[in-house]
Amino acid sequence: MTDLNYILETVLLLAAPFIPVIAGLLLRKKFASAEGAPRTGLQKAGRLTGNILLWGGVLGILFMILLLFHFNGKI
Amino acid sequence: MKELRLIFFSLTLALAGSYAFAAGPVAWGLEDYASEFKLFSETRTFDRDSWAALPAQEQERELTLARDPAAARLAAVRTWHAAAMRKWSTRELQGYTAGIKEKDLQSAELWLGRAAASELKKKLKLVRAALKRAPVEGLNNNDVLALAPHLTPEAINDLRAMRAAAASATLTPGKKGSSPGSASTAALEKFSASLPSGDSAAVARFFDGSNASGDAAVNFSGAAQASRAQAGGAAAALKAAPAPQVRARVPAPLPQQKSADTAKSSAWTSDAYGYTITAGGRTTTYRDQAAAEAAIRALPNGSVSKIILYGHGSPGMQTVGPATYDSESTAELLKGKMARGGVIQFSGCNTASIGSATLNPAVGISMVARRLLYFSLPYFQDRADGVPAAQAKEQWEKGWDADLARDTSLGVRGAVVCGYRTFGLVPGRLPGLTRVMGNQEATTPGYVAGKKACYRDGQEVAAQ
Repeated sequence: MTDLNYILETVLLLAAPFIPVIAGLLLRKKFASAEGAPRTGLQKAGRLTGNILLWGGVLGILFMILLLFHFNGKI
Repeated sequence: MKELRLIFFSLTLALAGSYAFAAGPVAWGLEDYASEFKLFSETRTFDRDSWAALPAQEQERELTLARDPAAARLAAVRTWHAAAMRKWSTRELQGYTAGIKEKDLQSAELWLGRAAASELKKKLKLVRAALKRAPVEGLNNNDVLALAPHLTPEAINDLRAMRAAAASATLTPGKKGSSPGSASTAALEKFSASLPSGDSAAVARFFDGSNASGDAAVNFSGAAQASRAQAGGAAAALKAAPAPQVRARVPAPLPQQKSADTAKSSAWTSDAYGYTITAGGRTTTYRDQAAAEAAIRALPNGSVSKIILYGHGSPGMQTVGPATYDSESTAELLKGKMARGGVIQFSGCNTASIGSATLNPAVGISMVARRLLYFSLPYFQDRADGVPAAQAKEQWEKGWDADLARDTSLGVRGAVVCGYRTFGLVPGRLPGLTRVMGNQEATTPGYVAGKKACYRDGQEVAAQ
């Protein structure tokens, strides 16, 4: 049971940086405008939030990789 | 009344004048501060230009700080020179001829003058030549006469015996590897009795007294000749003799900080670590553990206002190059040395606990990474190795969030101990960038991207 708890915890911790990426992608998709049509205010706000989450998440993943290198003494 | 005014006015002028005189700049090399300027030159702390650029008050302060180390250094060089000028025994002959280097003679010249240095230089030249000639041609009476003021009769006899010993060795070939002579010859290949050289690290070592007989392995120039004389007797004594102890234990001066910080190597990755010690208003840096620890121990109690230990950290411990510190060893090293409110800075990752929750995503990610790397990973490794779950859990739950800074603050009462709750990223360590900046061997971290936490007597205080 202890192991199961920790496996679950590890999966969640590893997934944490991917959550904003997925949320960002979903938001970008949800607020996508039709081809050629001007974006409404809501669409702009939704896409902006999505972009921030997406690229923030990507940066977070890169940061985790950087920390991993740091941990291994490569940096 | 007018007289009183005049007296008061004159006194004011005199006071102002004396202050202006006292605060006036000190010319480089001024005779009154000869030793201090010699110390500055030797440790390359200042040169004429950098000295001239210092404000007068700063000059005054530097001279005051250098007074004692300069006097100690002068005394040490005098002692060393006096010992080197005495008649050498066989052991001393070996040690001095192998150990004294050009830089030592330069030091002697700087501190004691040209005459003293050339006296020693002359002696060395004579003895080295005799040592070279002795096993090949032997020594004639003129040589013996010339050597008499410099060597003991026993040493001269040993030198004279070298030729006969060499000849005997030539006549009895074989068994070279197994003869007792070869072991002693091998031992001779590496030893020194040098007055350490004038560069910063060597000067520091010399002043610390930690390696007063020299720590650099040197090739004994006469070893090749001496190795031929394996036939025992007096010449064997010459070979087997260990280096003499040329001791000159003096307090460490504060060496210049430039060498390590500005060291440029061609490496693409960083090898930065070091100790930065601020004591008595003066900051010094070290990369060498022994030198740094010796310098700390030599400092008066209550004198350290800040110390930065820069290296890699993990929960509960910090490395500085090859040295590793936990709360106990740090407290032991610094106990009593810290000034009231002095700061001990662990510049390494995860040297404080993660603390409370935060909204900063970078800090959050760092904390997540800490849990993964210092709990999840070792826990599952232990489990894979067959360690019971309860035991692995207990061990790593305790260790992953250890707080080195807090624990150290409990051991060094009154001092402020700081660490990082997160991984501390130093831009200057990034591969490539470190090469561009030429700071692969920096001893201080500069900017550290991380969340700092400070403790005093176990209680968190504002970060410093």
